[in-house]
Amino acid sequence: MGTLGIALFYKMQQNKELRNRMDSLNTSLEEMDEQAKLIMRTDMELNKTQEELDKKISGLNTLQKLSRDVSTTFEEKQIFKKINNEYLEELGFEKSLAFLWNDLEKRFGLFLSLGYNESEIVKIKNTVEADKMSYLNLIHTGKTASSVFIPEDFLPADKIYGLFLVHAFIICPIVPQEGNQGFIFVGTQNTESRITDGDRELITILANQIGQTLDNARLFEKIWRSQQELEIKVEERTRQLSQALEEVSKLSRRKSEFISSVSHELRTPLTSIKGYAAILLAGKLGAVPDEIRERLSKINRHSDELVHMVNDLLDISRIESGKVDMRLESLELSSLVDKVADMLGEQMKTKNIVFSSNVPAECQRILADRSQMERVFTNLLGNALKFTPENGKISVNARLVNNLIQVDVSDTGFGIPEEDRENIFEEFYRVDNMINQEVKGTGLGLTLVRKIIEAHQGRIWVKSKLGEGSTFSFTLKKIEGNGSGNAG
Amino acid sequence: MNIGFGFSQAKDHIQATNDAICQAMINLGRSHVHLAIVFTTIEFAHPLVFTTAHNLLGEIPMVGCSSLGIFTNKGIFKHGFAILLISLGEQMFFNIAAVKEVNKKTALVAGREMGEKLLYGCKEVRRSLSIIFSDGLISEGTNLIRGLQENLGRSFPLIGASASDNFVFQKTFQYYNKEMLSESCCGVLFGGRLNFGLGIKHGWKPLGKIRSVTRSSGNVVHEIDGKPAVKLYEDYFAKDSLELAKELRRISIFYPIGVYLPGEKEYLLRNIISIKDDGSLITQGDVPAESKIRLMIGTKDSCLAAAVSSCAEAKKNLGLQKIKFVMVFDSASRFTLLGRQHLRELEVIKEAFGKDTPLIGIYTYGEQAPLKSISYLGQSYFHNQSINILAVGE
Repeated sequence: MGTLGIALFYKMQQNKELRNRMDSLNTSLEEMDEQAKLIMRTDMELNKTQEELDKKISGLNTLQKLSRDVSTTFEEKQIFKKINNEYLEELGFEKSLAFLWNDLEKRFGLFLSLGYNESEIVKIKNTVEADKMSYLNLIHTGKTASSVFIPEDFLPADKIYGLFLVHAFIICPIVPQEGNQGFIFVGTQNTESRITDGDRELITILANQIGQTLDNARLFEKIWRSQQELEIKVEERTRQLSQALEEVSKLSRRKSEFISSVSHELRTPLTSIKGYAAILLAGKLGAVPDEIRERLSKINRHSDELVHMVNDLLDISRIESGKVDMRLESLELSSLVDKVADMLGEQMKTKNIVFSSNVPAECQRILADRSQMERVFTNLLGNALKFTPENGKISVNARLVNNLIQVDVSDTGFGIPEEDRENIFEEFYRVDNMINQEVKGTGLGLTLVRKIIEAHQGRIWVKSKLGEGSTFSFTLKKIEGNGSGNAG
Repeated sequence: MNIGFGFSQAKDHIQATNDAICQAMINLGRSHVHLAIVFTTIEFAHPLVFTTAHNLLGEIPMVGCSSLGIFTNKGIFKHGFAILLISLGEQMFFNIAAVKEVNKKTALVAGREMGEKLLYGCKEVRRSLSIIFSDGLISEGTNLIRGLQENLGRSFPLIGASASDNFVFQKTFQYYNKEMLSESCCGVLFGGRLNFGLGIKHGWKPLGKIRSVTRSSGNVVHEIDGKPAVKLYEDYFAKDSLELAKELRRISIFYPIGVYLPGEKEYLLRNIISIKDDGSLITQGDVPAESKIRLMIGTKDSCLAAAVSSCAEAKKNLGLQKIKFVMVFDSASRFTLLGRQHLRELEVIKEAFGKDTPLIGIYTYGEQAPLKSISYLGQSYFHNQSINILAVGE
């Protein structure tokens, strides 16, 4: 009995120990199971994050490629053609539509359709038309609808699932700053697919990109049209100007021809008049009473003026028509100036005018026609002398400007009013002043000067201040050493 | 044996069919075509495609199915038509068969019928392997195999793919000669000297306590440890059944149920399709009552490691035979799990078999393959989430 009792005691002890171990094992197992739950939950969150990250990376990658394609397009319809099945699939969708509101027709126009057949498209278009107020409201609010979020006042999700035949979708407004707005729809039948915040962000970026590109395309279209219109206008105006120029040239030719023929016609009788007047004055046909001599002298003087005018007119018309050959040769500028100044020396002395000239060595050699250049200086210095009061100053200065010789003929005369400066080089234009009223002139001198300077590829201009004087400046080609040529 | 492989993803379906078949015929050379295996993505499931194929190939027996993606050694394609033309050696033979209206007949009866049809004229010869293509939306995939095994034998090497669509789960297609079938099963039985190696792995690992299925019928698990089955997921993920239902497909892909099978190396995975109002779980494939189950966890790395093991196993089983082609049946769930890394699986396969080895494969909604493939004596099961590699030699 005692042995049995001891054995039973040991057995009970063993059982107790086993129970304790079992309890301990069970506790450990339960704890491990709790840890397993934690692992599962953490793993699930990690997977979700990873999945979303993967989606974003591939979505952004696709979006970058798509944006590059879309943003380089400048034609509205072409923009939507860039969105193809490959891009759409990379974004995780296989169906897409894009509608733009046509404000003139008051209806939505379909610009993109992927993943639908003809009959499905017809049904969708009709239904979108019937629900246009809902879509317009969505565009107006700028909100994005998706299978996880439907804004208030928009269509119920079930209606969209049924119409667009998808399991998940995003509808995002396309809102360009100007012009017609619309929306893009993307969807998938994939029942595994779920719309995430990342998806919504990506499609919003795409819709914004489309909106911006639409703006660019419309701006481009506008600029292109303006440019086309401008080109047409420029073309038309050029044509008109060419016609006008042609007309002016014709008129100018006719004028030159007219002047030339009239001048020739005038010179013959003038020569006779002057000849006969001279004969009469010389008394070869008998004594001439003083009264008649005085009249004959006037006839002789006026005939000289007329001959001078006719010669100037002839020269101008010859230069204009290119009939005068400029016999270009190397001339010494100071000699030319001095020669003309000498010719006018007596008159200068009479008016007590101080003449000075300054031609530096580097400006001495010019390439010009001697006789024409003498006319230039004769006219300019003659004018200066005419309009400079007694005790005044006249100067001729030369200097190098941009490798051209600039000659300034200055006086301390009355000056030229501003309104006349533009016109003084025109034929027969005479400044209305006291001197001109007293002293006769043809109004052709400066025109001739300009023509001669232009025939030497130079230009002439005037600066003047009333009461202080004027400076006529012109440019000539400079040459180094001796040389000669022909300006044609 | 000679083979010719062709693939095209031309947008014009007829053009694609034409291109792929011409490519396959050129690759096959002058050998006589005995059998064609065709895989297409869902948009290529069009009668005109098969009329074109028939016009080009003539009366050549053809089997195949639709998928959400096609494997070739040039990539995994979401659009396209792939064809494998097989010219068998002298000591080889085959028979093709199809059974329609599987749901109406019940999967078990259809499986039996399929088995009978495949064996027609082949009962007296040595049978090597059967490849089956069934509708991935058939709920009783397990019974289909059971019915097949009743006629073909439980340990007979059977590999199969449940056709898929684009994750829409609406309609899948099985191709039998020039017919496009749904709710059907088609396949081929090879006999004679066919050298091949199989590798089947999934990569999911058990986590947490072992639990018992206390009440189940077919693919409906009513109770686990005496509690409504959904409680298992509610406990583990701290979500009620409504919240769970929203994310069920996803949760189920990442954390399926693993059924312990005595004598097998890997757990048999079961995806959850839906939750019933009474808290029962409807699984893809059956879960017998009194099964020991655990929740499983998988990662991208474990998935890819399983692909490596699967290839290694197939190679090992093929032995020293020169590989003619590799056929891949890869679970669509793995595509979801791997996400942007899904091409890594293809890289793994190419690394194992060589980049130029002809390769054809599909994503499936379920796979049929023996678990203990090393011995060839393993029983074929209906799998979820596995990658099955069939390497066929000279």
